[in-house]
Amino acid sequence: MTKCKKKKRQDDFQKVKLKVGKTKPKADNATNINFRTKGINLTEQLKKDANAPTTHRKLNIKDLLSQLHHYSGTVKQGALVGLRELLTLHPSELDQHLSSLLSEAAAVFTDKDPNVRMSATRLLRFIAQSVPAERTSPFFPLLSAHLSCAMTHIETGIQEDALKVLDVLLDHYPALLAARPALLLTNFLELISHRSTGGGARKGQEGKGRSWALSVNPNRNMTGQQWRLTVLLRLGRFLQAVVEERRAEEGVACVSGDMFSVLNGQGGANAPLELNWEELTYRKGGFQVFEHSGAMPTPHSTFKLRPETEPGAGVSEGLGTGEAVRGFASTLVPLLLDVWVEASASDRSKTDSAHLLTPDAMSLMYQVLSILQLLRKLAPQREYQDTLDVWFRSEYLGDFKQHFMKNFPYGNLDTPKQRRKTDPKRSKQATTIPGQTVEPLALNVLLCQVMVSMVTLSQREGQAQEPDAEWLMPLRGFVQETLSSGAKLSQRHLHTLLETVWRMVITQRSRAVTEDLLQAVYVQYQQMNLNLQTRTLLLSFYSRLYLQEHNHTHIARSRVLSRWLAALPLQLSQLGHRNPALSDRLLLSIQAAASRGNKALLNSLHTHACRLYDPQEGSVVLLPAESQQRLVQLLYFLPVMSQGLLANLSRCCTAGRVSAGLAASLIRIIHLRSSLSGWSVGSQDATLRDVDYISFLFSTLTGFSSDELATLQEAGDESVLPPSPSPPQPLPHPLEQFTHHWDVVEEVCHCLETLGSRSQCFDVLQNGICKNLTGLAVIPDSMAAGLLRAVARLLDLSFLPSEPLLRFLSRCCLSLLSLLLTLQQDTASENNHKREAVWGACVAALSSIPRLLRLVLQSLRVRDLCEEELPQLAQILSLLLQHTALRNHMLANATLLQHIIQDLTRYCRGESKEQWMTDLLYCYSVTMATHRGNLGLRDIY
Amino acid sequence: MSAPMEIVLSADSAGQLWNCAVLELHSGTNLLAYRGGNTSSRSLTVLNGEYILGAQLGKNFINVWEIQRKDQLQQKIVCPGIVTCLTASPNGLYLVAGIADAIYLWEVSSGNLLAILSRHYQDLTCLRFSDDSSHFISGGKDNLALVWSLASVVQLDPSHTPEPRHVLSRHSLPITDIHCGLMGPQARVATASLDQTVKLWELSSGEMLLSVLFDVGIMSVTLDPCEYYLFCGGSDGGIFQVSLCSQSLSRDKTFQSDNEGNQVFKGHRNLVTCLSVSMDGTLLLSGSHDETIRLWDIQSKQSVRSINHKGPVTNALIIPAPANMFLPDSRPGIPLPRFSRHLNPSEQGEGVETGGVCLRLAPHTQSVFGDGENTKVRVSELEEEVRTLKKVNKDLYDFSTQLLTKPS
Repeated sequence: MTKCKKKKRQDDFQKVKLKVGKTKPKADNATNINFRTKGINLTEQLKKDANAPTTHRKLNIKDLLSQLHHYSGTVKQGALVGLRELLTLHPSELDQHLSSLLSEAAAVFTDKDPNVRMSATRLLRFIAQSVPAERTSPFFPLLSAHLSCAMTHIETGIQEDALKVLDVLLDHYPALLAARPALLLTNFLELISHRSTGGGARKGQEGKGRSWALSVNPNRNMTGQQWRLTVLLRLGRFLQAVVEERRAEEGVACVSGDMFSVLNGQGGANAPLELNWEELTYRKGGFQVFEHSGAMPTPHSTFKLRPETEPGAGVSEGLGTGEAVRGFASTLVPLLLDVWVEASASDRSKTDSAHLLTPDAMSLMYQVLSILQLLRKLAPQREYQDTLDVWFRSEYLGDFKQHFMKNFPYGNLDTPKQRRKTDPKRSKQATTIPGQTVEPLALNVLLCQVMVSMVTLSQREGQAQEPDAEWLMPLRGFVQETLSSGAKLSQRHLHTLLETVWRMVITQRSRAVTEDLLQAVYVQYQQMNLNLQTRTLLLSFYSRLYLQEHNHTHIARSRVLSRWLAALPLQLSQLGHRNPALSDRLLLSIQAAASRGNKALLNSLHTHACRLYDPQEGSVVLLPAESQQRLVQLLYFLPVMSQGLLANLSRCCTAGRVSAGLAASLIRIIHLRSSLSGWSVGSQDATLRDVDYISFLFSTLTGFSSDELATLQEAGDESVLPPSPSPPQPLPHPLEQFTHHWDVVEEVCHCLETLGSRSQCFDVLQNGICKNLTGLAVIPDSMAAGLLRAVARLLDLSFLPSEPLLRFLSRCCLSLLSLLLTLQQDTASENNHKREAVWGACVAALSSIPRLLRLVLQSLRVRDLCEEELPQLAQILSLLLQHTALRNHMLANATLLQHIIQDLTRYCRGESKEQWMTDLLYCYSVTMATHRGNLGLRDIY
Repeated sequence: MSAPMEIVLSADSAGQLWNCAVLELHSGTNLLAYRGGNTSSRSLTVLNGEYILGAQLGKNFINVWEIQRKDQLQQKIVCPGIVTCLTASPNGLYLVAGIADAIYLWEVSSGNLLAILSRHYQDLTCLRFSDDSSHFISGGKDNLALVWSLASVVQLDPSHTPEPRHVLSRHSLPITDIHCGLMGPQARVATASLDQTVKLWELSSGEMLLSVLFDVGIMSVTLDPCEYYLFCGGSDGGIFQVSLCSQSLSRDKTFQSDNEGNQVFKGHRNLVTCLSVSMDGTLLLSGSHDETIRLWDIQSKQSVRSINHKGPVTNALIIPAPANMFLPDSRPGIPLPRFSRHLNPSEQGEGVETGGVCLRLAPHTQSVFGDGENTKVRVSELEEEVRTLKKVNKDLYDFSTQLLTKPS
């Protein structure tokens, strides 16, 4: 038993014998490592966050933002992608977390992982698209700090990506970027160059010594030229933003950038109040003309206080002052020149002809030039612009001439195409750089502009201009050739070319040069099928040039310009109603020239006047109201108004295709031009004969041409055959026409009244009516009313109107009265005005000419009338009796009246004592009674 | 009778009885009449309170009367052409006339023709000075109104042709009248035109503040001294009143039918050619081609008085009465020199003095900006300088006397 026990105990502690050459038995507690592990990646949370919206991975914005601090690149990239997704799904998150979003996203601009940077840029672009500039502005210092950090980073990859970030910001927040340009500008410089250290260079700075030199980094994966191009592109865009922001600050649109678009300087910041007298009288709220109750002048005053601060120097101050711009330019321009030289030199080695460029070099040069152009515009105020120009000229004219003009008309080199296809890597890069293709034309045109801007306006002519003329020759030749080749130019090129021409014309002051250049532009102008914008551009070029003529005699005497002016009226008349905008432009130019009394234009205007003012298809009836007004105002400047023109004008007034107000102002203008108006200052020969003027007034007063009247007679003959003694048939007219004619008549009457001797004037009118109108059987109601009105207004008490006139008028009067009755039957309120007008005209005429009333009464022959007409007659009579102004005159004809009434009572056959008869009898008895009463009273006294 | 404060000066184109008449503003009594010729429109002006000048209608000379000698023409200034408008600067130093399309500027003290400005393209219609004589505005038939700074015009620099400070070019028909408000270079300018608008401009910046479009052409315009109202005389005889400041307390005005004081003065039957407001802004004077001048009460818009003339009224203005006018014994402070007709008198052999423009400062011009402290310092510096100079002079004198009296 013990033995057995012992054995068992030995079993417990058995010695393991290890032998050489045999594998070591495994320990009992050894871990089996034959399994494989796999990580479980929890990309999304299981729990749902009820409080905040989440991505499809169930991560809310806080998780994502915290993931941006993760060490792993993929996590960060995932977070950035997630953020973008979250923001697209829930735009409201953007508003709440904008501050943290921007700061975190900006922090990864300098990340080592290119993918992260790319995602960050994308996120930034997304945010920029949906957040307006004013809400980003508080975070912008942070953004730009990170941006400049990235731009100055030691790793080239990060630098390159920083430019992409800059692109995003330039696209969406140009103004914010431009507000603080100082730091960014130095960054740009550092991207393509390095500051050469050492005191020696610094000391030699006064001369040509430079502290900056172009740098080449062999580590980049693109050539030095391409890198420079990418940087310069951004710099160009950035400067553009600065220039635009400055312009917006100044609020003045007349900077040379859009010199042709603004014609008459309507770009003021505070818009003037435009009021209309009628509106003014009817509206309640007043208006305020003077701000600060007029105590302070507007900020646009030309009286300026001197700035207190001393202008500082150096780039560090930003571009606020002229000095700073100059400092920056003095650093940048040498670099640009180096770039240019390098671009052109690298080409020369390959090809024989130096003026042919590869596309790369071409676009690089283009960028260089456009940055130069922008630098000129950077001057903070317009006064500094000139000093800056002068400085440019003195510093760099030699360099520019040497480098830019050497191979001037640059061409395109076609060879590299083949090679590029074999090199896929290069072609891929090429596509990444925007603005790669620049036409040689664009380059050449821009070069012209830059060079021409170097020519400064000098007061003295002659010797100072001589050296310029030499190098300007090829430029001028190129401009002339391009313009006159007849090829269609794009809007932008044309604009640049025109600015170049403008500058040349202003600075050169030579007549021959001006003539050649203007002729070249004229070739462009004469092209067919130009689109509206181009046409307008050319037009405004010429009209601006014309407006400048006063202090440039060589412009004033230019034959091309006067030919252009003379052609304008013809163009206007040919244009018709097809393009009102263009017509308006033309009219503006014509008006300017006419007001200056330009002979060529006035003569041409005179020849084409009849076509322009044709009542059927002339511009004056086809164009919109505003242009119509200009055309009418143009009449004032016409040297001579022929009979035919006046006839046309009179038809224009009466035909109703121009508004009554405009017709009135037309009549007034003609009145002013006639010698009878009495308004003249200084020596002024009358443009129209008095006879013509008066016949114009008369035909306007009648409102219908003789042809129209004749056709009316015929039409009247067909419908009703009125016996000759009966009153002329009034032709009821559409209401608008009647009111229009009424307004015109008022104006004509006013003109006639102020002509001078009234009796003579009336005599003329009487003759006119007797000769032309008394024979008519049918006359329109508007004409009848107008004539009555005119007669009443013009009649002088001393003058006795002739018998035929009175007879004619009495017929008019009678027919109008009967028209009045028909009008009264329909109670539409729109007829009110007409009714009052007709009634007023009749009453005024009847009361001012007692004989007219008698004639009217005499012509009321009851016997000749049929039964249906009797009530009408009675109503007319009662109307006349009721009117107080006429009562006395009626009483003067008491016997006549009595006869008529007796006839009436006899003929109306007593069986129907109708309403109208009782009314009439009542009126009659009342009138008579008061009369007798008056008589009685008089007897008593 | 005490001397009147303000008088009305009026002239018509007939000139049958007199050339221009002086009326008492409130009573309308005829005080004086100056005889001889007749005066063209916008050319009657008072020079320095001592002379009355008026351009003869249709002739090329200007009539001059001493203000106290009403019957006798003192002088005729012969001009190179027909004078269309004329004005004298308020400080009495310069005379400006529009002759055809050129502006002639004379210096009154010497009679020299200082400048001929031909920037207008057609005949001039109106000339006005600002109240401090620093600027003048010219309007012409070429639709332009030009603002000239007097200082830049008179400077003597033959190579430099004077340019206007501003070109007001928004009218589309000839300018008929101009009014320049008070406050010197900060004044506001109203221009009227045949294009049926009146425009209000700021002199300092040349910007348009207001444009009012009417139904008729406007022949004359004026502002009251406070610039509360703009008065525009129409070619149909109406005078339109535009209120420039809104009395915006509309609470208690709801039942009132008239709105903001924009109303018409009715009475004239023909062109209203001249308008003028009295110093206190209560009376409006208007002259018209219907051969009357009328005096209106602005508050109630009624015609207070109507005075008939023999011809279309060419000039009517309210001016403060010059002191000399009613003193027959007084003499003008300076006699009028002969006004030269050519730019450079020495070339013509007329003038005695050669070259150089003698500019005379007005007696009342003071340095506005100099503060007391600076002036004191400057004065003491100058006194110091004078003392040193005296000392040097004395030394020189002593030295030379010694030298001369020394027995050689």
